[in-house]
Amino acid sequence: MNILLIEDDMIETMKLQRTVSKLQLKHTILEAKNGEEALDILQSPTQLPDIILLDLNMPRMSGIEFLKILKADEKLQYLPTVILTTSENRADLLECYKIGIAGYIIKPLKYEDYESKLHTVLNYWDINELVKA
Amino acid sequence: MDSKEVILLKKALNRQKMARLQAEKILEEKSKELYDVTHHLKEANNKLENLLNEKTSELDGVFINIIDPYVVMDLKFNVINMNESAKVFLGYDHNKESLNLSQLVHPDYMEYTLESFQSLMEVGTLKNYRAKIFTKDRTEKWVQINSSLIYNADRNAIAAQGIIRDITHETEIQELLSEQKKQLDIIVENSPLGIALTVDGYILKVNKAFESLLGYSEQELKQMHVRDISTPEDKEGSIALLQQMNRGEIDNFAVVKTYTRKDGTSLLAKTQVSAVRNGKGKQDYQVALIEDITAQKQLELQKEKLLQELEASNQGLQEYAHIVSHDLKSPLRSINALASWLMEDYKDVLDENGLFNLRQMQEKVESMDRLITGILKYSSITSDNQERTSVDLNEVIKDIEEIIFIPEHVEIQITDTLPTLLADRTKVHQLFQNLMSNAVVHIEREKGTVKIGVKELANHWQFSIADNGVGIPKQYHERIFKIFQSAGTKERSTGIGLSIVKKIIDLYEGKIWLESTVGEGTTFYFTLKKDV
Repeated sequence: MNILLIEDDMIETMKLQRTVSKLQLKHTILEAKNGEEALDILQSPTQLPDIILLDLNMPRMSGIEFLKILKADEKLQYLPTVILTTSENRADLLECYKIGIAGYIIKPLKYEDYESKLHTVLNYWDINELVKA
Repeated sequence: MDSKEVILLKKALNRQKMARLQAEKILEEKSKELYDVTHHLKEANNKLENLLNEKTSELDGVFINIIDPYVVMDLKFNVINMNESAKVFLGYDHNKESLNLSQLVHPDYMEYTLESFQSLMEVGTLKNYRAKIFTKDRTEKWVQINSSLIYNADRNAIAAQGIIRDITHETEIQELLSEQKKQLDIIVENSPLGIALTVDGYILKVNKAFESLLGYSEQELKQMHVRDISTPEDKEGSIALLQQMNRGEIDNFAVVKTYTRKDGTSLLAKTQVSAVRNGKGKQDYQVALIEDITAQKQLELQKEKLLQELEASNQGLQEYAHIVSHDLKSPLRSINALASWLMEDYKDVLDENGLFNLRQMQEKVESMDRLITGILKYSSITSDNQERTSVDLNEVIKDIEEIIFIPEHVEIQITDTLPTLLADRTKVHQLFQNLMSNAVVHIEREKGTVKIGVKELANHWQFSIADNGVGIPKQYHERIFKIFQSAGTKERSTGIGLSIVKKIIDLYEGKIWLESTVGEGTTFYFTLKKDV
């Protein structure tokens, strides 16, 4: 799968990279440091990702702002977007589901827990049939 | 005697006879006339006598039958005659003792009495003489007397007669009335409410408060109409209501309206207008009460603003707590990941000490994470986000048993059937979870039990969670409910759990307390109001 990770924290990006390589998963990870960067990638002629992993708290364009733009886009709206955040704020969760998401994963404290959670998420989306706009 | 002589004599005799006859006849007629006259006179006399009798008895009757006291006196105030009523009223009988009326007059009214008498002598009548007198038993009475002079045949005044009316009661009532009016005036004048009496909107009378509220004097206000002191935008509403009142549809109304003071500033006042109607339902006056609520209104506005600010700042605080917790949690996750990688990647290089330190680092990170989670939870417990659903506590307890870590040697017993509450599920869950996890971790003996019970009170449910653990020393019983205060010796305790419990119980208007013996166990009791 092609995974677009939208995340401003370098260590978080390293965590995903390490998880993918450690579990020997055959996924490619595209990185964007915020919503604006992500939109640039999505609007470039390169191939669209299969899924998006989206952090909520980011500078410049927040995850929710990005999500709104994405879901308003005729083509991009079909990209399954999974929230990956430390925010347990119920208001955020409700807002995200209202706009439309494919999952809401809270980043666990322990790296091992992170690994197993992400493994599950990636496996799940790996076996899904996607719109592939 | 010759025949001629005889004839003459006879003739003379005849004439005499005739004359006598005639005379007799006249006499007879005269005597008849006389008789008739006499008879007539007698009749007339009779009639007159009767008439006189009638009149006399009529007069006597009148005299006796005058209900009010009636007195005749000479011009020196000595009583000549008085009726029964006068005797009863004054207590004197002129037949038994001589009575001089001037002696009955109250000293205060002596001068007035003499003046009045003077006037009676000059005019012949006296009306509405009012004075205080003493009756025989020395009680004071108020009397009103109408009097007139009595003249003899020569038109000289010889006496005076008068009808006395006892107006004591009447005067007392009047005095009472004027006293009450005075009292009423005091109330009206000292009222903090502005009071105005109007007719068709024209101001008749106002009290001091009204004057000072509007800055006009009563004299000025008396020239004015209500509309002259009302602000234009407020006229329409109250005029419509006034019209309804004039039509008799309503008897009173209350509005909050703005008045314009003499100095041009405005006055916000609660105004209550009542119609004063006469017996026929036609209204005579309107009474308006106005209360200055400018300050009150300002306070209200201020309060509203403060509430809005408070709400905003609460909201802000919530968001702030989330942001802070997020910003604090993120680096913790990074530290944890980095420490894990160090362990994984360099486990061959690190000695036992290095690995120990890395594990310590991860543990500290964990406890910090718990602390942050706790603070966030604590700050999220407000009545703002209160939900109300039916929460079956039996299910809640079952859920908690699955979530929390229960050591092998500890058993949870539910001693009563737990009720279903109408409450916020998350908060109730949090409450029981915190108390239960406290209970299960502090048991050091071989067989631990945690008993959960409930008792129904009038307005509350009273729950108990009892353990047979280490117990809590008395000196901590109050402190443990305060945030960051912990009696636990366990490193895992953050000192937030019970303060969250307390905060939730406060939301449900309940109480929490505990009984504990060190070494034997602790029972936490708490109540939750059934209907919050």
